[in-house]
Amino acid sequence: MDAAIDVREITRVFTPRKREPVTALDAVSLSIPSGEVHGLLGPNGAGKTTLVKILSTVLLPTSGSAAVCGHDVVAEARAVRPLIGIVFGGERGLYWRLSGRQNLEYWGALYKLSRSEIAERTERLIQRVGLGERADERVETYSRGMKQRLHLARGLVGDAKVLFLDEPTTGMDPLAAREFRALIAELRGEGRTILLATHDMTEAEALCDRVTLIDRGTILATESPRSLGRVISRFQRIDVEGADDDVLDRVASLPGVASVAAADAGVRIEVAEEGVTADVLRLLVDSGVTSVRTSMPSLEEVYVHLIGDRGLQV
Amino acid sequence: MRRAGDVLRVLRYAVLSGYYDYQTIYTWRTWMVGWYVRVLSQVAFFALIGKLLHSPERTHYLLVGNAMLLAASGSLVAVASTQWERWAGTLPLLVAAPSSHVVVFAGRSLAFVADAVLTSLGAFFAAAAIFGLPLPWPRVLLLPGLVVSIAVATYALAIFLGGCALRAPGSRNVVSNLATTTMMAVAGVNVPVSFYPAPVHALSYALPLTFGLRGVRGLLGGASGGTVVADVAAQLAIALGWLALALLTFDRFGERGRRTGAIDFS
Repeated sequence: MDAAIDVREITRVFTPRKREPVTALDAVSLSIPSGEVHGLLGPNGAGKTTLVKILSTVLLPTSGSAAVCGHDVVAEARAVRPLIGIVFGGERGLYWRLSGRQNLEYWGALYKLSRSEIAERTERLIQRVGLGERADERVETYSRGMKQRLHLARGLVGDAKVLFLDEPTTGMDPLAAREFRALIAELRGEGRTILLATHDMTEAEALCDRVTLIDRGTILATESPRSLGRVISRFQRIDVEGADDDVLDRVASLPGVASVAAADAGVRIEVAEEGVTADVLRLLVDSGVTSVRTSMPSLEEVYVHLIGDRGLQV
Repeated sequence: MRRAGDVLRVLRYAVLSGYYDYQTIYTWRTWMVGWYVRVLSQVAFFALIGKLLHSPERTHYLLVGNAMLLAASGSLVAVASTQWERWAGTLPLLVAAPSSHVVVFAGRSLAFVADAVLTSLGAFFAAAAIFGLPLPWPRVLLLPGLVVSIAVATYALAIFLGGCALRAPGSRNVVSNLATTTMMAVAGVNVPVSFYPAPVHALSYALPLTFGLRGVRGLLGGASGGTVVADVAAQLAIALGWLALALLTFDRFGERGRRTGAIDFS
């Protein structure tokens, strides 16, 4: 499948006045096939937004190259722009004193749609994001969730093949965030490529086909959310309830068992070798333990493991 | 043809957006009481200096100059309003849009041009009545056209300065005030351009007020039609010059922002 986004050895160095240069991206390479929802995860200052800015032609890379739908983002920026949509989180990026409909019509004009296309697409997007009843009211009267839905509609007004979502659910209440994610899931079904920069692990896990963990301008891993667990724990974990100490000692002594430790309501056993899970399960069941559950590390656990306590640092 | 249609559509929405911004600043009542009375007082203040000097000529000179200055200073609001795209967070979206962001910036603050024209004409006619300035009918009917030319030419300067100030947003009010003060000083508002040494004349006539104001004085003072038309033509040439510089500045701003990372997402 063709890559909708192809990033090759992109480096971006910022040179603040009277300060040392800062490398925001360091030889980053990434290929995202057409139709994929790809998560970009990392702490503040990791380089997520810098990468999105380069791909959306707002920033030039210091070196390396990147292409969107086969067009170079530097040499063919004009060809890239009609193909992309950008959606921010937060309340910026909209004209608050215009109505939702006027905002969409305005951006439709900026995307060079004809008058009839503007009218048709605006109405369709308004219905799609559920703003029908409030479309002619000023954006400043909208709730956070409504503004965010309008943001998404604005990102789609040019019928973008590739959507860049930068922290799109920041500050939204859980219900609004859930509705918003349902809209994103719909877009995936239409074959659009989506690059989602987010801190929200649940969001990434729910929406993304693959995720890239990025920190200090370098990529740590690119995998599907499920298989990313293998980066920190190659094999399964087993959560057990109701096992006595004797059974747990015997489990701990099995070859390939990495750890046996207290967890939420019971004990978590982590294995470090392939095939050991079956031995552990057999021993537990033979010992009369029936409350057993196997799992992989969640994306959040992977994130914390790989990025550690960098989350509060920039 | 399609391209012209695209540009006009973008312009229309940019103007509309600016108009709604403008609406949040004034209602008719606050405009009349809070703004119009203030600027009329300003024109009257300067005209009173002529009265104190017992000189009807100076009274009228100061009245006309300061009323026309309002057309220019009102349009200079665009220096600040150009920054509003940055505050709204729409700047990166404009840079990444397929259409040129220059059109948006050119249209965004046009509501202030209309305000400046209305303010200037309103202050002029009221002050003329108060201070007994004779109005040459029907020639005075051409005055609104000249005032529009001053406002539009100054708007071109304002969006040029606004484009420069985008690089240093904190400087927007300083830049705007400096431009107003310079015009007040050397564009023939309170003292004739000829008062200054010759090297200053180049600056005076590069300003978007000077030729227009000279044309207004000519129109009201009975100058020949050819003289007034020549001033208007010069005024339009100056306007086109500033507009060209403004377009270049915004284009450069976009490219420079891409290079330096000055265009933020948040």
